[in-house]
Amino acid sequence: MGRKKKKQMKPWCWYCNRDFDDEKILIQHQKAKHFKCHICHKKLYTGPGLAIHCMQVHKETIDSVPNAIPGRTDTELEIYGMEGIPDKDMQDRRRVLEQKSQESQKKKQNQDDTDEDDDDDDVEAGPSSFQQPAAPPQAAYMPPMTQAGMYHGLQVQGMPPAGYPGMPPMLTGVPPMIPGMPPVMPGMPPGMMPMGGMMPPGPAMPPMMPGMPPGMPRHVARPGMPPMAPAAPVTAPGMASRPAVPATQSAASKPLFPSAVQAQQTVSGPSSTTSDSPKVTFPAYTQPSSTPSVAASSSTVAKPPATVTSKPATLTTLSATSKLMHPDEDISLEERRAQLPRYQRLIPRPGQTAAAAASAPPSGAVGGMISAQRVIPPQQPGIRHPIHGQYGGPPQGMPGYMAGGMPPYGQSAPMVPPYQAGPPMGIRPPVMSPGSRY
Amino acid sequence: MSLFGANTGFGSGGTGVFGTTTTDSHNPMKDVEVTSPPDDSISCLAFSPPTMPGNFLIGGSWANDVRCWEVQDNGQTVPKAQQMHTGPVLDVCWSDDGSKVFTASCDKTAKMWDLNSNQTIQIAQHEGPIRTIHWIKAPNYSCVMTGSWDKTLKFWDTRSPNPMMSLQMPERCFCADVVYPMAVVATAERGLIVYQLENQPSEFRRIESPLKHQHRCVAIFKDKQSKPTGFALGSIEGRVAIHYINPPNPAKDNFTFKCHRSNGTNTATPQDIYAVNAISFHPVHGTLATVGSDGRFSFWDKDARTKLKTSEQLDQPITACCFNNNGNIFAYASSYDWSKVQSQYTSGSVISGKSPSPAAVVH
Repeated sequence: MGRKKKKQMKPWCWYCNRDFDDEKILIQHQKAKHFKCHICHKKLYTGPGLAIHCMQVHKETIDSVPNAIPGRTDTELEIYGMEGIPDKDMQDRRRVLEQKSQESQKKKQNQDDTDEDDDDDDVEAGPSSFQQPAAPPQAAYMPPMTQAGMYHGLQVQGMPPAGYPGMPPMLTGVPPMIPGMPPVMPGMPPGMMPMGGMMPPGPAMPPMMPGMPPGMPRHVARPGMPPMAPAAPVTAPGMASRPAVPATQSAASKPLFPSAVQAQQTVSGPSSTTSDSPKVTFPAYTQPSSTPSVAASSSTVAKPPATVTSKPATLTTLSATSKLMHPDEDISLEERRAQLPRYQRLIPRPGQTAAAAASAPPSGAVGGMISAQRVIPPQQPGIRHPIHGQYGGPPQGMPGYMAGGMPPYGQSAPMVPPYQAGPPMGIRPPVMSPGSRY
Repeated sequence: MSLFGANTGFGSGGTGVFGTTTTDSHNPMKDVEVTSPPDDSISCLAFSPPTMPGNFLIGGSWANDVRCWEVQDNGQTVPKAQQMHTGPVLDVCWSDDGSKVFTASCDKTAKMWDLNSNQTIQIAQHEGPIRTIHWIKAPNYSCVMTGSWDKTLKFWDTRSPNPMMSLQMPERCFCADVVYPMAVVATAERGLIVYQLENQPSEFRRIESPLKHQHRCVAIFKDKQSKPTGFALGSIEGRVAIHYINPPNPAKDNFTFKCHRSNGTNTATPQDIYAVNAISFHPVHGTLATVGSDGRFSFWDKDARTKLKTSEQLDQPITACCFNNNGNIFAYASSYDWSKVQSQYTSGSVISGKSPSPAAVVH
């Protein structure tokens, strides 16, 4: 896609602000996520269509579009793919993309602009593709294992050919001109609102389609693939991981996020979640579902500099329908925990081995004392032992232990008493040393 | 073995609130609870190898200790011995003959614990906490492999203070597994490296991660001929990837599946996604067990791509799991893993239960 004329924005879903590589995928996504009847799972084509269906068939009213972010839940707005998106939102979106692309240019020279053609975009954005052209197959394969063990996604995505003559898998070679398929217009000239009217996909199409494949492995060469494949990215299960895509891509577009977040907030007002940073240009992910538990610590960690220096990168959040039960910083749970003062205490520090060694003997006595006590939750800060340095309450019964350097190889043999009946070691007096890392 | 008896005595937990509950989300599966569990979260579990008679379970915990229990045939557990580190113990493993246990700790050292004499000596030193430790038994050498947050993977002959070999990794080691001649290490930033161990350990391949989130646990599985052929990789995003090293058809053979999430297909409420804390393969059937921060464990058949069973939800996340050498016993540890920000002090508990009977396994 090397033409400026083609719409400069990648297709994105108005309901949930997600980006897609291709409008076809966008539509599949919308059908699966937003226009699907929750009662009978029938996929409709538009919001109003869904509302009408529910009314007529199930005698139920729906007042909001499923899985839509707040502010975008209107069931009366007839949006199909990129058509029907209100101008204002369109411009907001463009603005956001501009900001993002500026930032990405500033920060990382080699990062392609998201709004520019180029299949490289697939690497960063594109929730629809599981990047790594190297491992596209896995992308295609997200068979969620459900209770029944069936390919749930497969069933769910009943979608396929039936409603979709222009099925993506057939993309290659299929004449881009798909009559009657208004939404399929990746070639939409920039600035042209796809509002109503069928814009003849025009010349933009052909270059578009073939241009896609490299980044869209799943479209191509998957004739045998269950229709789920292209749908895979858009299925609910898949969705969760998508926003995660950026998580570890070391691209730097992090900084984009803050502005994107703000912009989004003005538009749709959802509360931005903590982890905007990470890598990748995912302007869309300001999903509200920030949970207190997840957000707690890392809100301030968000927006780290482009290079992850001392502050660990944060993880991306997920969409409104799911949240990761994990602290946001991109360090492992063990690392996080090991940083706690509670666990720092006993780790010998390089410059203090002498002190540690010195304190080892006295700690023996203390150790004895401690074992007498029962297990006391370390959180009680009241326990303060005068022992300075690391050896607050070292493993009881190890008076001779050379905590410091591990020099005595093969002989240090901290002779540990064979077996301690009780659960002795519970207490570790709060650390003396500042919460430094190991 | 009838392990589904009433709970045995609870070890002294810090909170001591367990008592004799009837509802019991602490042990809803009514599996046997191990006596004298450690006082803090359990980070790792390992059962003794088949070369040793009986079943001995080693558990390392954040209370700096490593404990050994004997698990008897009737399911009862008997605490046997304990050793200490000066920092939380992150990983444990057995030697192939079952006489030694290796323990790795945040205190940057690894120790070898001779069970017969109940002595430990330090055998390894890193610049950062040691996250994984595995025993490698090759025809022409044996050594201990340690992976650390200092981004190195070192191999130690237990008799020497210097490593036999040290390999640099791109990032901190988060988890590893060894089944000779293959070793897999998953690192931070979603790194994934496979090593081959014949003759001497060397890097075999770096693999593009099949997962989009931080790696948390990895376990190698074997093919019908008992050769390691691939691994299961779990992430913090409630997803496990099954990845073969040299599959005939990668697109079809490798796959990922979701697990440890709340409210399955109901999309009305936001889904909570939990980390997969550990993965363990059944030594006989090849089915795998995953345990997660959601407090459940599940058994899966990766060949049939089905879920076999999910447990009830425990009140705490499950942090470690392990099958014994013949697959009859499945032990899992329930303790807080810090996945939610607010810190909760809870003691850990180790529970061992009967493995799903062969009949339940689709084979």
